[in-house]
Amino acid sequence: MSIDLEQQKNAGALITEDLSDPNYLRIRDLIYQISGIYQSEDKLYLLASRCARRMAAVKAKTPGEYLEHLTIRANRDAELRLLLNEITIGETYMFRSPPQLQALKSVVLPQIIEAKAKLGFKRLRLWSAGCSTGEEPYTLAMFLLEESEGLLKGWTCEILATDLNDNSLAAAKAGVYGEYALRSTTQQLRRKYFQPVDEKRMRAGDQLKSLIRFDRVNLSDDSKMVFLKGLDIIFCCNVLIYFDLSSKRKVVQHFNANLLPGGYLFLGHAESLYQVDDTFRLVHFPGTIGYWKPPVGYSGGKP
Amino acid sequence: MMSEKLEKLRPRIQSLDAIPTVPAIVQPLTAMLRLPADEIDLEHVIELVSFDKTIAAQCLRMANSPLFGRRQTDTVRSAVIALGLKRVQAILMGCCLNMVMPAEKWVFDPVTFWRHSVGCALVSRRMAQAIGHPDPEKAYLAGLLHDLGMLVNSLVCGEDFRKCLQAAAEEHVALHRVEQQHLGFTHCDSGKILADQWRIPSEVTEVVEFHHRVAPTAGPLVPLVYLSDLLCRVRDLGYGYYEVMGIDLAGDAAWMVLVQHYPQLANMDLARFTMDLDGAIKEIAALVEAVFTSRK
Repeated sequence: MSIDLEQQKNAGALITEDLSDPNYLRIRDLIYQISGIYQSEDKLYLLASRCARRMAAVKAKTPGEYLEHLTIRANRDAELRLLLNEITIGETYMFRSPPQLQALKSVVLPQIIEAKAKLGFKRLRLWSAGCSTGEEPYTLAMFLLEESEGLLKGWTCEILATDLNDNSLAAAKAGVYGEYALRSTTQQLRRKYFQPVDEKRMRAGDQLKSLIRFDRVNLSDDSKMVFLKGLDIIFCCNVLIYFDLSSKRKVVQHFNANLLPGGYLFLGHAESLYQVDDTFRLVHFPGTIGYWKPPVGYSGGKP
Repeated sequence: MMSEKLEKLRPRIQSLDAIPTVPAIVQPLTAMLRLPADEIDLEHVIELVSFDKTIAAQCLRMANSPLFGRRQTDTVRSAVIALGLKRVQAILMGCCLNMVMPAEKWVFDPVTFWRHSVGCALVSRRMAQAIGHPDPEKAYLAGLLHDLGMLVNSLVCGEDFRKCLQAAAEEHVALHRVEQQHLGFTHCDSGKILADQWRIPSEVTEVVEFHHRVAPTAGPLVPLVYLSDLLCRVRDLGYGYYEVMGIDLAGDAAWMVLVQHYPQLANMDLARFTMDLDGAIKEIAALVEAVFTSRK
């Protein structure tokens, strides 16, 4: 499960819809309410291009008419789901969000390391929840390995990577990637952590794989979720958009319980927990936001 | 609070308005800023805007930006009427400040400085609107001028200030901390001297002086601009270098101060506010490019 809005930029440029139609803003707000995915004004052309496909399918002539399909018509729930699918189509790639990694390196890890070291712990557990075809956990694995002689010297690290989709999970375990997935991975990292499969593809090496444990987890499955404990950081990017508000709340509550005090939850770049949860604290980092589980007794001030 | 070093610089700061680059419209403009809205004379504002060709063109560009509602205006008169008197004054003040700085005196990259200032002004105004502050245009002005002291520092102790900026960038820390350490005073202190000298409205002067240390008793614009400034610095509208920051804005003491004034703040969707700001960054950059970097 992944989302790539940027990738569609060129396609978006061809769209000739009138973006000033206020109904696009209404659709945008509706999607935000339902999924927590927010498209700022400068990304409206992407929304318009996604709507255009669904509008053609249901033969709606104007955004206003299409809005009726999403709000008034009997099949509105199904249509909203189809639109969400359109919005969230797309492949992902490694090192997709440098500001997230930068925040990990400069703030999150030093903070967690300091707190845990005080207690004598030297073990770090990350979870890529909804890891899709594995780009995210492999990125995290490279990041951790690159820090293994620096920040994380002497630490044991583990990445749990889960998804609901068996096919995605199988691809993740195989760890074979083409140019698109590796487009932001430097040559140096490719040489260090991947082996060529053929001219176009590379396979993740054992050093990466040994850090990751792949597993099938349904985030809605309470019986499994309660057993996941002791996590320091959870990444759940563009997954919660598939849940309705009440199930989303339940998943986020589980995440809160899964995390150790002082742990962090990161979501996709357009996702927010507004009105979903008020136990996490919204923390701003340069270029990204994260959600922090404060330790017992925290009452504002610096994380 | 004032260091000896700053006291030595004080006369130089106070005589800044004697330097020839200060446009003749600064004095009448700041006098007008102190008037209540209903006492401002439209013709007088139009006259001030038209006084300088560069400033008039800059005002037109601002008036036509989507950030200001994208009105199609091509005369100074229609721009002034479309933007409203208060907003035009704030815009004018920005243009004047830009002209105060001779090109060779900039320690900051002017584009970086103005992106931060205009960004902070827009965020302050938006936040003021969101929480029901009665004068969002004053919030805009306060956001625009909050770092006045950085211009002062560039003018009166440029070389030392340059070293501060360089050290802050290398250590990835906040500039005012380095200033305090290396200069013994910050841009808040030096900005306050010029703000007093220019008799800028008192609430704005309070922001200039206290936007890095918000007292529980501060007026609402101080925490508001403090928060806007932080938000800009984590959203690519900062001082042009990576500042190591992880901030719980809604858990910040300044947030608590502002909530006391405006309880509505507690319901603000801060994540969405931030995403909207991300969406506006390109336009802010384009505006700054067009307005503040085009010199005569």
